[in-house]
Amino acid sequence: MSDEKKSCCSNETGEPTATRSAAPMWIIVVTLALLFTGGLFLDSHGGWFDKNVYAPYQSSAQLESFQPKSGAAAAMARGKSVYEGVCGICHNSDGTGKPGQAPALASSEWVTAKGINRLAHIPLAGVTGAIRVGGKDWNLNMAAMGAALPDEDVAAVLTYIRTSWGNKAEAVTADDVKKVRSEIGKSPQPYTGEQLKAMPE
Amino acid sequence: MKTGFCVFLAAFVALGASWLGLVFGPLKQLGVATETKILQSDDKWPVQRTGDATLGLQVYRANGCAACHTEQIRQTGAANELSLVNLGVHQAADLKDFIASLLGTMPELMNFSNAVAGNLAGWDGKLPKVIYSGADDTVISLLGDKLKAVGVKTEARVVATGADIARMGWGVRQSVAADYLYDQPVQLGSLRAGPDLANIGVRSPDLNWQLQHLYAPKSITPNSSMPAFRYLFTVRAKVGGQSSPDALVLPKEFMPAGNLEVVPTAEAKQLAAYLVSLKNNAPLYEAPFTPITAAK
Repeated sequence: MSDEKKSCCSNETGEPTATRSAAPMWIIVVTLALLFTGGLFLDSHGGWFDKNVYAPYQSSAQLESFQPKSGAAAAMARGKSVYEGVCGICHNSDGTGKPGQAPALASSEWVTAKGINRLAHIPLAGVTGAIRVGGKDWNLNMAAMGAALPDEDVAAVLTYIRTSWGNKAEAVTADDVKKVRSEIGKSPQPYTGEQLKAMPE
Repeated sequence: MKTGFCVFLAAFVALGASWLGLVFGPLKQLGVATETKILQSDDKWPVQRTGDATLGLQVYRANGCAACHTEQIRQTGAANELSLVNLGVHQAADLKDFIASLLGTMPELMNFSNAVAGNLAGWDGKLPKVIYSGADDTVISLLGDKLKAVGVKTEARVVATGADIARMGWGVRQSVAADYLYDQPVQLGSLRAGPDLANIGVRSPDLNWQLQHLYAPKSITPNSSMPAFRYLFTVRAKVGGQSSPDALVLPKEFMPAGNLEVVPTAEAKQLAAYLVSLKNNAPLYEAPFTPITAAK
């Protein structure tokens, strides 16, 4: 009996044993590809497991773009769009300024001053000559970039720069801007740093 | 078994990882949830139920309402909408040309020109008119500004979209975890033999309507397949020929014959109070939309 078995199934001689052998390369490649695709999908659809992000929203940034804007949020959105269109070209979109073009607005004492009188004069009339910002001396000209903008836009953009990038100062209203604009008059002349310093804050 | 420890370790890691992800993680995120803020308002959401309504949840549960009714609104998308509200001095046809020229000349708007032109095609000047509806929120402010400059009034809105939301009265946004904060247990439901009830308190806020509907659903919806919950009501003789103040006012054919009246039991009142408390009408950060305000 045992002889017969041996003759027909010569390879079943004993208990099978596990031996070490390398996993096929294609399994490793397919696994890595699946993991990578899964990672990409999770990244774009998973919302990073944020408890506020429910499908069909896929990320907190997308959810943010669907928040109804009014009041303070609308002013900030407006200020951001004005800033990026008018100011950000020289002052940089993150308020860090550009060497040889414009000083930083982030943590600048001119921007975060208690009152907005000096600050509001700058976009409405422009600046010329030497001015000291954040411990650095600048000597450049800035045109009256805000002179042609409506009061609401100037107020929105000033509010934006006073409360962004770590700046924490009070918001600016359109009435504040109107007041400064009427002080400056119809034909604005750029101020020097000295003149601005002489004004009340 | 020399691999015993490895098997134990593998099983431990597999079960431990799923416990962390499916039990511990969600509990840490939502188990500590508190009331959230309603958008653009200082009010909190959800509103704590009255005593009757809290007990009504248990009546809802005991009567198996969740077998045929869900309490969950689904949403498939969201859109930023810009609509014309007031044309000022302009004529509809001229404005159409003006918008077309804006779309053709402003590089930021060119991507949206087909969408806006499609919305304006065949417009007969009826207001309000939605001119853009889509995911982008920059086009809304850009186009809105340009139209404001020529004296046209526009309104920007955020709307939730989906089949549930398109059914009037079912809800204006999807249900989110915050809505169920005071539900114990949560009555989500999984079958819609009857309509969804997540927003029934807005749809039918009248307690008497709810009570009449519970006693005789067919008296309100002739084809209703909902069973009548008569055992939640007492049919009794009128005292001295006068109806009690609680008695239901029913159409004649649903009234019991004779000198009788139908009064709700405490359970019926609790259930009605619970149904009226179900609302899905507050904009939240996680489920945003622009509420329609009466004065505009």
